[in-house]
Amino acid sequence: MNEEQFKAIFELTGYRQQDFSVCLGCKICASVCTVNDLSPSVNPQDILLSLFLGHEVNSDHALVHYCTNCYRCTNACPWGIRIPEVIRALRESLALESTFERAFKGSLKIWGRVYEPYIFMKTGVFLLKEGYLKYMPKWTEYMSFHLPHGVRRLSSQGGPSDSKGRL
Amino acid sequence: MNILVIGGGISGISAAKVALRGGHDVTVIECTSEPGGLMARIANCRVGFKTFFDEITDKPRLTVIRDARIAKVEKRENIFTIILEDGQSIRADRVIVAAGLSPYDPVEYKGKRVLTSLEYDAVIDQRNGDLPADFEKIGFFLCVGSRSKEYPLCSSVCCSYTLREVKWTLQRAKPEITVFYNDLRFFGQEFLMEKAYRDAGVRFVRANSRYFEEDDDGVTVRYFAGGDLKEERFNYVVLAIGLRPSPELERLSGLFGFSRDQFGFAVEKEPLKTDAEGVYVAGGSIEPMSIKDAILTGFGAAVRAVGDGGRHLSEPLEGKVYTEIPADLPDIDKSHASYLFYLGTEDPWMKMFYEYVSGRFIALARELRLLGKTVCVVSRNMVVPSYGEIEYEKARREGVVFLHLEEEDSITFLENEARIARKDRETVLAIDKVIRFDDYLRLFDGKDFLIQFRSEPQLRWSPTKWSREKYHTGFIRYPRAERWARREFYGALGEILLDVEEERVLPEVSEDRCSGCGSCKDACPHDAIEMEMREQQVALFGPNVVSGASIAHVKEGSCVGCGLCAATCPSHVISYPM
Ligand SMILES: Cc1cc2nc3c(=O)[nH]c(=O)nc-3n(C[C@H](O)[C@H](O)[C@H](O)COP(=O)(O)OP(=O)(O)OC[C@H]3O[C@@H](n4cnc5c(N)ncnc54)[C@H](O)[C@@H]3O)c2cc1C
Ligand code: SF4
Ligand code: SF4
Ligand code: SF4
Ligand code: SF4
Repeated sequence: MNEEQFKAIFELTGYRQQDFSVCLGCKICASVCTVNDLSPSVNPQDILLSLFLGHEVNSDHALVHYCTNCYRCTNACPWGIRIPEVIRALRESLALESTFERAFKGSLKIWGRVYEPYIFMKTGVFLLKEGYLKYMPKWTEYMSFHLPHGVRRLSSQGGPSDSKGRL
Repeated sequence: MNILVIGGGISGISAAKVALRGGHDVTVIECTSEPGGLMARIANCRVGFKTFFDEITDKPRLTVIRDARIAKVEKRENIFTIILEDGQSIRADRVIVAAGLSPYDPVEYKGKRVLTSLEYDAVIDQRNGDLPADFEKIGFFLCVGSRSKEYPLCSSVCCSYTLREVKWTLQRAKPEITVFYNDLRFFGQEFLMEKAYRDAGVRFVRANSRYFEEDDDGVTVRYFAGGDLKEERFNYVVLAIGLRPSPELERLSGLFGFSRDQFGFAVEKEPLKTDAEGVYVAGGSIEPMSIKDAILTGFGAAVRAVGDGGRHLSEPLEGKVYTEIPADLPDIDKSHASYLFYLGTEDPWMKMFYEYVSGRFIALARELRLLGKTVCVVSRNMVVPSYGEIEYEKARREGVVFLHLEEEDSITFLENEARIARKDRETVLAIDKVIRFDDYLRLFDGKDFLIQFRSEPQLRWSPTKWSREKYHTGFIRYPRAERWARREFYGALGEILLDVEEERVLPEVSEDRCSGCGSCKDACPHDAIEMEMREQQVALFGPNVVSGASIAHVKEGSCVGCGLCAATCPSHVISYPM
């Protein structure tokens, strides 16, 4: 079992193992996931299912590396599951940092804000190397539109469906 | 007695019918300009509603008030006085709330080519002229606005109506059709329709999507299936929108003092009766339901409303109601550590039991889970409509693991393990005890389930009638959640009441044109058609030759007048006087 991972996830997101059970398996998250703009075929639901089944998620899972924190999955998910936060917790427990996170953090450190040219400079090599150039326009869009989402509150109040006071 | 029906949808009109037949004065108030509700908004249901409504429009004891909005309600000595916004006042002894359902509006996804089912229905409506020129590839997406955090119920009807939209589409054109689903929640014969459409090339994919990128010529859709992200173009995308309680219900509950549950539907204190004295409820105000169930609950609510006044229905009526208590699944040995329920079958006839068995499996799985067992349910199709979805959600939260098989996935059972083969990988589950859907079909052997013959709309709606002497309710009508059995009982009483005085209309066979093909005989669920030999004199050239030819004959004793034979006859030899 992956006690460590669950501790990290609970601390960061407030989700417990059973909270992932509400996932319907509809794979809507996969249909909208930004990572699929780049290297197709990640399914965020996979991660939830692994966690729910008590399996370890290991560091070579593509999403753990590439999740952009765009929250597209969360916004489209019928249950609003905060997958990027789960992934951030996983990264923490696996002591990983994605290329983008490094770039964003660097940018914040130097400029005090997200400065796109700097981010492109830092991530450009990675994008080029992986053949992602054609997605550049989309990336600009995501960075300008979705980043504020990405750094919004790390809610830790209760599970994913407590809005109606139900368990 | 004065009965007030709020809502002129199919459930309200059904209630009005039964109350009128019982000799009561009925007022129906409808807040729009014309009764009909949702049914009137669906091209292929409009006529059905009109025919149904026309049967009572000329009754002197019926008053229909259009564009009516209630301003105030007073209740004194068990008599309601309802004052409308235009000042009219209505006195009523009993009130039946039939305010119906409200379709979800997915504003965030809609576009010119991303349509809701209602918008799509207008596109394929004959009356609106030709289909669009580019009508080659259509994708249907189920569960939009249902089964979510905001509205956790399943809307019950959107899978079924999507199947009908597929049918209506194919009646007009031959586009490529794909249905993207989470679970296919069909009922009764719809599973046979599903099979027929699959055979005809309609594709079903167990995956959903919200990636719809629309441009001038089509919509790009992404979905994740078979372990891969797929991207496809469709000319049109249809969102099967869910049905939520009418927003009016909140106001009505304030005015009449009945309670609603956390999802917004009226609470039934007893079947079809709210917790406010003298206020009854029917149709979509209770939960999301199909037209047939709306009729059933409409009939039932009226029976309750007029019956509670002291005038009880006579014994002979109740004597015609037939029900059966189901045998439960055999006891499960609870000594194992892990259990796997497999909910899947290949036999389309058996799929109509999905709903009943899904419910039973969930209950059993939860029971075992509470004992600390490892419990897994592998499903091809979890049929838990409406509030059933809540039980399903509870089971998931309690730690029952649900694994969904995609179309191409297969499962094999070996000793103490189950293997799920997917395109990209194999999952092996160590399991002590496997409980399979097919193992339980014995329960249903040799029984005459009404719905086996009757889930498609017919010329006449008869939600419980098996024959004029026998009306099926509960398990033997259609195996489903228990809460339905009592509603069906009252619904059946209403239907019997309507039938009692009704002139029975028999189908007529124009014998001289009958070719003796026997289609009607096969179609008749009541064995009411026999093929009789008729001597025919054939004189071509030379002497007369006598030969035998068969023609259809309707046996009066067994015919219930359902009209299926007339609908089936390929040469319209059987007519059914409406
Ligand atoms: C696209 C689509 C396709 C469908 N296809 C099928 C199908 O093929 N088969 C099937 O079985 N079902 C189908 N359904 C479901 C079906 O429409 C409903 O089951 C049925 O219409 C419910 O009837 P009802 O009388 O309960 O409610 P409604 O039809 O919603 O009627 C309620 C009526 O009450 C009125 N009302 C509401 N509040 C007030 C008030 N305060 N005062 C006065 N009047 C009020 C409303 O204006 C409305 O006329 C479909 C639904 C949709 C959305
Ligand atoms: S937040 Fe991560 S997992 Fe979710 S859609 Fe964006 S990239 Fe994919
Ligand atoms: S969109 Fe949400 S509910 Fe659907 S599979 Fe993804 S995480 Fe699960
Ligand atoms: S009937 Fe239930 S499962 Fe089917 S589309 Fe509607 S909400 Fe989804
Ligand atoms: S109407 Fe036709 S199909 Fe129906 S019971 Fe009578 S003979 Fe049979």
